[in-house]
Amino acid sequence: MTEPLVQMRGITKRFGGVTALLNVDLEAHAGEVLAIVGDNGAGKSTLIKVLTGVYQPSEGEMFLDGNKVSFASHADAIAMGIDAVYQTLALADHLDPAANMFLGNELTRTVMGIPMLDNKRMRSETERVLMERLGVKLKSLDAPTESLSGGQRQAVAIARAVYHEGLRVLVMDEPTAALGPQETARTLKLIQNLKAQGLAVILISHSLDDVFEVSDRIHVQRRGQRVGVVKTADSNTQEVLGLIVGAEEAA
Amino acid sequence: MSTETTDVPLREKLEPYIAIIGPMVMILAIILFMLAVEPARYFRLSNMNLILLDAALYMPMAMAMTFVITQRGIDLSIGSIAALSGIIMAFLIKQYGFSVYIAVPIALLLGALMGLINGLIITRFQVPDLIGTLAMDLVYRGLALVLAKGLVLARFPDLLTDIGRGQIPGFIPIPVVIGIATMIAGYWLLTRTYFGRYTIAIGSNPEAAELTGISVNRHKLYAYVLCGTCAALGGILLTGKLNAIQATSAPYFNLHVIAAVVVGGTSLFGGRASMLGSFAGVLLLSMMVNALVTLRMEFFWQSVASGVVIVSSVALYTWMQQKDRDGAGGWLAALATPDGQKTLRFSAAIIGLLIALLALGGIFAGDPNPSG
Repeated sequence: MTEPLVQMRGITKRFGGVTALLNVDLEAHAGEVLAIVGDNGAGKSTLIKVLTGVYQPSEGEMFLDGNKVSFASHADAIAMGIDAVYQTLALADHLDPAANMFLGNELTRTVMGIPMLDNKRMRSETERVLMERLGVKLKSLDAPTESLSGGQRQAVAIARAVYHEGLRVLVMDEPTAALGPQETARTLKLIQNLKAQGLAVILISHSLDDVFEVSDRIHVQRRGQRVGVVKTADSNTQEVLGLIVGAEEAA
Repeated sequence: MSTETTDVPLREKLEPYIAIIGPMVMILAIILFMLAVEPARYFRLSNMNLILLDAALYMPMAMAMTFVITQRGIDLSIGSIAALSGIIMAFLIKQYGFSVYIAVPIALLLGALMGLINGLIITRFQVPDLIGTLAMDLVYRGLALVLAKGLVLARFPDLLTDIGRGQIPGFIPIPVVIGIATMIAGYWLLTRTYFGRYTIAIGSNPEAAELTGISVNRHKLYAYVLCGTCAALGGILLTGKLNAIQATSAPYFNLHVIAAVVVGGTSLFGGRASMLGSFAGVLLLSMMVNALVTLRMEFFWQSVASGVVIVSSVALYTWMQQKDRDGAGGWLAALATPDGQKTLRFSAAIIGLLIALLALGGIFAGDPNPSG
């Protein structure tokens, strides 16, 4: 493969005396889905929080497109084109989908020198982004977000991340955890769409079925370390499970 | 679920408008009731004017309180802010000869400052809003008492009384114009500005608001400053209306305003705001109070009525929020459960004991000895 789009090298993160990550490497390419799997406490969340600028690494460096980068905050990471969709989705349920999609980043128009929210344009943009990038059409854009299904809410949260034109790496934390089978299938389809558009998608999941269905490579974390990266096509559930629980090492 | 499926779409269609429908139905009920009981005096033009004049006093505060409550906050200090800023304005005008044109903006800014103090206490010192504003209510009321003692400051320049009770000839009173203008401004703030959008987001999901980069504390602060400023405006309107102010003025502002906002469908649990509902709520409470007066009820029943309206409307909205309204088999079915039985017996014991003691006291009662 070519040069990875995003690369983490020798990342170590300590919280006081606890070492959450020890010398972890990670590479993700444009147009691929990299799954990160591992048991609870394996350091998956810490790793992506370092990647998205929420935490700063104790040691190690990160490269984006071959250039060394460091993020002081989550906003820095977003500005560089790395964003995340959280498990909780971070949606305000009482606002409509358009308001949620532009939350914190509203479109305005100026009337007599006073900036006002441009609700009309935000709505048409939401419709466009949902349709063009995700292939999702909501029944009604007027209803509050709480009335949408789990998958639709997910779509709105993803749309918020992909609306940023410079987005290159999208991290998704357990996107299918709270979804039924049908919604899960739809979300996996969304991930395929994003991949086809040339994004590097990093997917954290506990569900190996989903991981095998959608990912290109699987990065396995165990006790704060990377214990292996396998090509999904050349691997199977057995091997990955073995890596997760550490059976391979013992054997 | 055996509910008829035909009314579901209707209910879904009505859901967004329930905020308005609630107070509108109650307003209609008052109108129908007064039409039946006392139409001659209640529907006089001069009485309509009185209702509007009373409602206008609460409109700015209800507008601001809508923002505070939508952010999952509460401000229990507006009555004292109104009194204190009114008192200081009165002193400036009466004792120091300040022009009304300067004293009124000073009062508004003082209100803003007191709101700022409330907001800083809540956001910086992390004092819960309920305790923080309740304590500051004592502080502001105390300062007003210290300043004014028992004094009633009265007889202000015409300009101030015009603000409070002036009438545009052949049209509505000036305070009503001010009140409605603030409500319209509030509607604009809520739907068209960052402040309004973030207010809903913060109340709806504070963590999400934080994650999307919204400065939660700053926008909370704005809401309290707005509330303080509007409370001062309420104080000015009150001073102008009565042409007098004293330290104990505006004792019922807090609950009256909160009642109006809650009746209007703004959720005490945050995230759901309705400016139109708050307007209807203010109107409803003023009509109710006026109806009580028209019916020659004692003034003190007002407080009882406000309390009943708050409790019943919050209970009603909570009930309407429940998705599964008929799943448990309705209200009375809950009493049949073991837990319901225990609650029932417990309540019966309290009431029974009370009745028994009253009976006992009545049986062994001696001659009454009046305290007077």
